Amino acid sequence: MNKSDRAAPRQGTLGSETFAWLRRGSPFYGIDPARRARFLVALVTVAAVLFPLIIRNDANIDSAANALAFAALALGLNIVVGMAGLLDLGYAAFFAIGAYAYGIAASWQIAPEWSSFWEPFRYLGLVDRFQDSGGDVVHFQISFWLMLPIAAGIAAFFGVLFGAPTLRLRGDYLAIVTLGFGEIVPIIARNTPSVTNGAMGLNGVAAPQLFGWSFGVDATPYYYVGLALVAFLIFTSQRLKSSRIGRAWMAIREDEIAAAAMGVNRVRLKLLAFATGAAFAGATGALYVAKLQTAAPEMFEFSVSVMILVMVVFGGIGSVWGVVVGAIILQVLQSWFLPDSTQWLHALGRLIGVEWLQQVELARSTQLIFGLILVAMMLYRREGLIPATRKVRMPRLAERPALAAAPPGETERLPRLGDFGWRGEGPLLEISELTVRFGGLVALRSVELTMPARSILAVIGPNGSGKSTLFNAVTGLVAQNSGTIRFAGSGIERAPPHVVLARGMARTFQNIRLFPNLTVLENVMIGMHARLHTGTVGALLRLPRTRREEEEARERCIDILSLFGNGLLLRLDHVVSGLSYANRRRVEIARALASGPKLLLLDEPTAGMDPAETLELAQQIEILHQHGLSIVLIEHKLDVVVSLADNVIVLDHGEKIAEGPPDAVRRDEGVIRAYLGRSATLA
Amino acid sequence: MTTPDIFLQQIINGLSLGAMYALLALGFTLVYGILELINFAHFNVFMVASFVAMAVLQGLGISGQSEVLTGFALAGALVLAFAVTMVAAGLLGVAIERVALRPLRNVRGTAAMITTIGVSFILFNVVLLTLGADSKNFPNPLPVVRWQIGGAVLQLREVLIWAIALVLMVALHLFVNRSKLGKAMRATAQDAEAARMMGIDVDRVIVTAFFLGSALAGAAALIFGLYYNFTSFLIGYTAGLRAFTAAVLGGIGSVPGAMIGGVLIGLIEALGGQIFEVRWTDVIIFSILVLVLVFAPTGLFGRDVASRS
Amino acid sequence: MPELLAFRGVDTYYGDLHVLKSVDYTIGQGEIVCLLGGNAAGKSTTMKTIMGVVTPARGEIRYEGKSLAGVSVAERVRRGIAPVLEARRLFPRMTVYENLEMGAYTRDRGPEFDADLERVYELFPRVKERLRQLAGTLSGGEQQMVAIGRALMARPKLLCMDEPSMGLSPLFVEQVFDIVRAINAQGTTIFMVEQNANMALSIAHRAYVLQTGQVVLSGPAAELRENEMIRSAYLGEMKMA
Repeated sequence: MNKSDRAAPRQGTLGSETFAWLRRGSPFYGIDPARRARFLVALVTVAAVLFPLIIRNDANIDSAANALAFAALALGLNIVVGMAGLLDLGYAAFFAIGAYAYGIAASWQIAPEWSSFWEPFRYLGLVDRFQDSGGDVVHFQISFWLMLPIAAGIAAFFGVLFGAPTLRLRGDYLAIVTLGFGEIVPIIARNTPSVTNGAMGLNGVAAPQLFGWSFGVDATPYYYVGLALVAFLIFTSQRLKSSRIGRAWMAIREDEIAAAAMGVNRVRLKLLAFATGAAFAGATGALYVAKLQTAAPEMFEFSVSVMILVMVVFGGIGSVWGVVVGAIILQVLQSWFLPDSTQWLHALGRLIGVEWLQQVELARSTQLIFGLILVAMMLYRREGLIPATRKVRMPRLAERPALAAAPPGETERLPRLGDFGWRGEGPLLEISELTVRFGGLVALRSVELTMPARSILAVIGPNGSGKSTLFNAVTGLVAQNSGTIRFAGSGIERAPPHVVLARGMARTFQNIRLFPNLTVLENVMIGMHARLHTGTVGALLRLPRTRREEEEARERCIDILSLFGNGLLLRLDHVVSGLSYANRRRVEIARALASGPKLLLLDEPTAGMDPAETLELAQQIEILHQHGLSIVLIEHKLDVVVSLADNVIVLDHGEKIAEGPPDAVRRDEGVIRAYLGRSATLA
Repeated sequence: MTTPDIFLQQIINGLSLGAMYALLALGFTLVYGILELINFAHFNVFMVASFVAMAVLQGLGISGQSEVLTGFALAGALVLAFAVTMVAAGLLGVAIERVALRPLRNVRGTAAMITTIGVSFILFNVVLLTLGADSKNFPNPLPVVRWQIGGAVLQLREVLIWAIALVLMVALHLFVNRSKLGKAMRATAQDAEAARMMGIDVDRVIVTAFFLGSALAGAAALIFGLYYNFTSFLIGYTAGLRAFTAAVLGGIGSVPGAMIGGVLIGLIEALGGQIFEVRWTDVIIFSILVLVLVFAPTGLFGRDVASRS
Repeated sequence: MPELLAFRGVDTYYGDLHVLKSVDYTIGQGEIVCLLGGNAAGKSTTMKTIMGVVTPARGEIRYEGKSLAGVSVAERVRRGIAPVLEARRLFPRMTVYENLEMGAYTRDRGPEFDADLERVYELFPRVKERLRQLAGTLSGGEQQMVAIGRALMARPKLLCMDEPSMGLSPLFVEQVFDIVRAINAQGTTIFMVEQNANMALSIAHRAYVLQTGQVVLSGPAAELRENEMIRSAYLGEMKMA
């Protein structure tokens, strides 16, 4: 099935209209969104901090603490599923790993025999020597506060261990593998009693202590720890989401191949997402077990993974506040609404004398209701309660003249494009004996090509002659069978796509592979991924250095977009799937340019453009050439080829059949025969 | 029993389990072949079907394992039980497709798969809430007939399971390869858009795939009951994950692959349980799933990914 | 010449993308009409719109004097519209014979089916030799023969061909075009999308030139071959000849 030809998904048709009047009616309507958001966050924080003081009912505070634990889990799964787009159906496994990590470290049920190995740990106060009837044993007594990060670290370690072999799999296969992983972790917990106390579970797990005061069984301190954890995880999620890391995750989610071609190291970033999500779950597991003071295998089964998934879907896949709200609402539903409704139904049953109404137990059907919510959300509101991305609407007709009249002054940014030239010795690109086969079909046969720096090379040939395959082979998207490719002085024939990009070769695709649900600016910023340096820690701390890097990157992207006049500058915050065909082509070129390439590969850049747009783009390509950029161009419109190219190669059936300056090539007999068919005799 | 006898016995057991997994795996493969969708609802369609089968047998007045039928009575009861269970399961599969999956047909990404998880969860909880969490004694009218092969025992039950599974698989094979609709199904799996342009009603093909796959899950569910003499709301996940592994091992999308994969998983389960401990079976099978997916994602009979130009 | 198929002000969209913009075509009975245009101009969308795989947002398509609105793909094939798809698109793991059967999917088996099979064997003797072979194992040229044969099995009045020359060697392209002529001579109307403009214009009666979803030029093929606008606007490559 040709997926690219399918209609683009339409989102939020039901919801956006349903809630529009609500938004207009709200007292915040018309207030600066950033200020409004800050105000709301402050309000929510105050309410959350005061909650136990106002409620004063331990059972309700306990439920609220559980809700916070689930919110923390939903935030973690949101990193994996929402941001990086990896459907993890066994997420509870990492929750279990964190839970057991603390359970083992703070329970006296797991008591290995004492040996001198433990002496240094006793010195540090982590373990104690305890006299037992059968000889001395070890009692673990590691502090909760120490175990919180350690549990996160252990879970992250298992995330990497499990993710490394499996994250290369396609999305649907990954889902089933994670489901299997989620199934076997409780089985292992059940079957290794020496470590986990088997099916009985660990009991009597020590409560956390703070300055010598034990938390005990009172829910309030756990509530506050949970609140702090959720606050920290929201902060982490937000910082990551708006950083270079978060952008790369979203790129992978939107289009893995394009992300790789734009310099994103897929395996590494997927592992990072998986490990981060696992760490969130691990820390939450430690807190949860400390609160319950017990850990048993059935606490972490498949249904738990599904419930967390439902919370994420309900709140809004990829939306940080959405998943928190989703988790809390569903927890409220579970702990208060269903039991209360049950009481009401029983009362109603007694009143009207209906026997079965008096026996309904709605709380037992929590999971059923979760299942119904999941299906209903998928069918009617896939973007969740609080969507992760809001589409900026296109300007109305009445507003367009105002846009057109906007100052065209941005063109003065053009000189700031800088120089794309390569200053090395010898040819920039040198391909020899390149052969690519797909099954029995030879897509490229012993292709030879040499290209000097600062030149434009055109590749022409009929559809199906191997032009795009040439691009794919050079950029590492398809494996070549034999031959060598040297670029800027080094061999790249075995290099993966993100390495090829980092070396200075960027490309566009014949059928435009932008990240459809991201904005113009986000798309172009992803092009800069390989040129920026912010890592996880940098994204979290957001030091002046990181902020400066982001600001400069943004400026650079705007400089590049200004190559295409101010049409795109006015649409920086627009989601690209709503742009015209020509504008999408331009954004894709801008995205490639953002990586600071020495060589740009353009696959039919003018396809779908009318003559005026084609002419304009040809001029813009010429400007880039003047800035030192070398360009390989696949193009069918030969007037474009003739006006731009220094050199032309002609492919036919995967073989290079001619090469030379445009004028010479178009007089070549073989070319005319192969490319133009019998008509040559007519002309 | 001597060691070879034990192995023979486990091969007999493994073939019966394998027959069941193969039937269940076919449901995954038929749907995946056409929609590239892992249908998690299939797990619990199987589970629901086992309760339908139980109800049919009880409706015939059979309860427990003590009431034995023979001759025509037995044949009639079995044919009726299989027919009703398969049709009921098939209709359930079709209903799931119509209500929950068809509206998502053109939605990119994992939405449809997440929906099948939701549907699976609903089926699971509906059975749990209405019929309870306890295991149910599954009526079994088969007489106990045993043949001694060396130290191993072959029962009538085993032979019957093999025969039924074989008949169903041959029938499916003939349907897919000989009938017009079956050929349309293969064509749709290979190139849905081209199939549509030939005038093939793709909706009808998809409904057929769901019906057949779910009906075969129904047959597998009855076999499960006859083999283990119990059923419970829990049986879907374990059997489903093993059957899915079988489909992947055989090459998902491939009908003969699912059959052979199922038998292999059955044998691995039986022999693995002999060599290691039974409690590790799921871990072994899961490891096979991961290893196959990572190192040989096309499975034994997987399609050539590059075949479409 | 009586009209067989006509587009009247047809607009189509893929999601937000406006592909065909108020397009008009008229195809007369017995004609060979070709549709020229660059990649992404909307040629394949035209084909899909004719077959009913893409539904127009506005406008009307008439076939044999009746509107095709709401008519299923199967019904269109039954009424005599059959496609030869871009890049052949055979069912690779089915035999050549089964592929031909799929072409006749909307029809009942009978003497007509056998007669059509004979007609295909006559046009393509090579196909008959390979009936039991899997279609995916054939060479590109053989696949194109099967693809045309598969469409003919629907006994079409209108054969819609999407880039029949794509990926074929020059010699084979000429053979394909000879066959197209032969099929047309037997009375089948042909609507052909082509990139190989000169070649297509040499056998077509009339042609339309599509550019970014709009018809920018139309007329008798012989006239279009001489038209300067074609040369500059679309047929950049003709300058080479």
